[in-house]
Amino acid sequence: MTAQNETLRIDIHPVLGDNPRPTPVSVLFDGRPLAALAGESIATALWANGIVINRTMPDSGSPRGMFCGVGRCPDCMMTVDGELNVRTCVTPVRDGMVIETQQQLGTWKVRE
Amino acid sequence: MTRSTDIAIVGAGPAGIGAALAAARNGARVVIIDENSALGGHLRWTMARQSGFGDELDGLRGHEIASWATGLLANTGVEVLTSAVAWGLFDDNALGVLTADSSFQLHADRVIIATGSTDLTWPFPGWELPGIVTATCALRLLHLDRVLPGRRVAVVGAGSLAEQVVADLHACGGIAVARLPAVSDVTVGGSDRVEWIDDGGQRTVCDTVVLALGRQPDAQLALQAQVALTYSVDDGVFVAARDEALATSVAGVYVVGDAGGVNTPARAFAEGAVAGEAATGGTALASALERLRTIGRQTEPYPPLPAIADDTMVCRCEEVRANVLRAAIRDGAISLNDLKRRTRAGMGVCQGIYCNRAMAGMIASEAGVPIGSVVSMTARPPARLIPMAAMADLEP
Repeated sequence: MTAQNETLRIDIHPVLGDNPRPTPVSVLFDGRPLAALAGESIATALWANGIVINRTMPDSGSPRGMFCGVGRCPDCMMTVDGELNVRTCVTPVRDGMVIETQQQLGTWKVRE
Repeated sequence: MTRSTDIAIVGAGPAGIGAALAAARNGARVVIIDENSALGGHLRWTMARQSGFGDELDGLRGHEIASWATGLLANTGVEVLTSAVAWGLFDDNALGVLTADSSFQLHADRVIIATGSTDLTWPFPGWELPGIVTATCALRLLHLDRVLPGRRVAVVGAGSLAEQVVADLHACGGIAVARLPAVSDVTVGGSDRVEWIDDGGQRTVCDTVVLALGRQPDAQLALQAQVALTYSVDDGVFVAARDEALATSVAGVYVVGDAGGVNTPARAFAEGAVAGEAATGGTALASALERLRTIGRQTEPYPPLPAIADDTMVCRCEEVRANVLRAAIRDGAISLNDLKRRTRAGMGVCQGIYCNRAMAGMIASEAGVPIGSVVSMTARPPARLIPMAAMADLEP
């Protein structure tokens, strides 16, 4: 199992070399702060931190995580800044984003 | 809003790029649409050096060709729409297009469908657990995001795609703890994510499984337009029937690259050039066709796709297991449309791309008919997940 305290990031890519522009941002995942890099997808930021469960399924409640990585399947859908069913593998992270594991169909929150 | 153009190209991988460059050379107004944030398709996460692209490009890595094309297209007058979805192809070659800030109909004299290929998948016990990803997902993680797919990775598949995943994983410092040539005897388990993979009794502890069986043509828009289809033995699915210039049975609609049958990026690029020339009445059509003949085809053996156990999830989106499908087939649902209507399988977000083949295989084996007689599910817009408001914004 992946240790929660070490990331899966590749320090020096064998072909691409150093990442030229790693701009750190911080997001909230289920209430705790998480380090991410600007420009990467939400699902990637979670994955790099060892988090592979994005949601539970509407009928069974079973956990699901990023599968296709190209925005085609529903497995990485999460609740992001209160919006339901966000395909996190094709949605870039932004500093301060509030990201929640989506429980089944999720619940719309009434904006105040 | 309604717009018009001479040539609309959907997909900016090697096929779409080849088409755009050829059409632009002939002076046509060209719009190219891609759902990703950058051009190049699979080339963006292909590190291997390429051949068959021509003297100027051969020897460059896939991602370098993507960068080259991005720079070139910026100087040709081609209108490039990235992070844009062409979600429907309607009568008179009208595309429904959604970008970050607009929703419009794009009327094109000619539409070139270059939507590429999607991972070939096949159900096996446990494949819906978190921690199982497609080869495309793994390659994007490695090369676009610079993130390892896992610490201990198992790779399923025997073809060049599996080879690519293993080689790239190792090059990036990852570890492939198991290689499984086929899904036939594979089971994956874990409490709430992947913890092990078992191949016919041989169990390996792992945290990630990469499904790298191969690719399948992905041409939802061509299916929507109801082009005449033909069964491709190489691909194991129905694909658009095309003439020598890659035109379909629907006037003005072309299908190029992997969308018409999975092959090499170089062939996709060359097919794009043929359609780009043909669609603009270019004088270089003969040489583009000659180039395509020279490149030829490189097909791989089709992976073994075994019988599916009753409690295995077949449709991931709607959570439909094999026993439910089998019962419906025995009850008379021997077409994909009927099976979908009765069970919801294939009705979910993925539009059946990750389960339709398994559904067709089950119909074939249960009903005792050749899989080539199980026709495709009816494709309807939208081809991608879009907000209802995007459709409401269109003029009638």
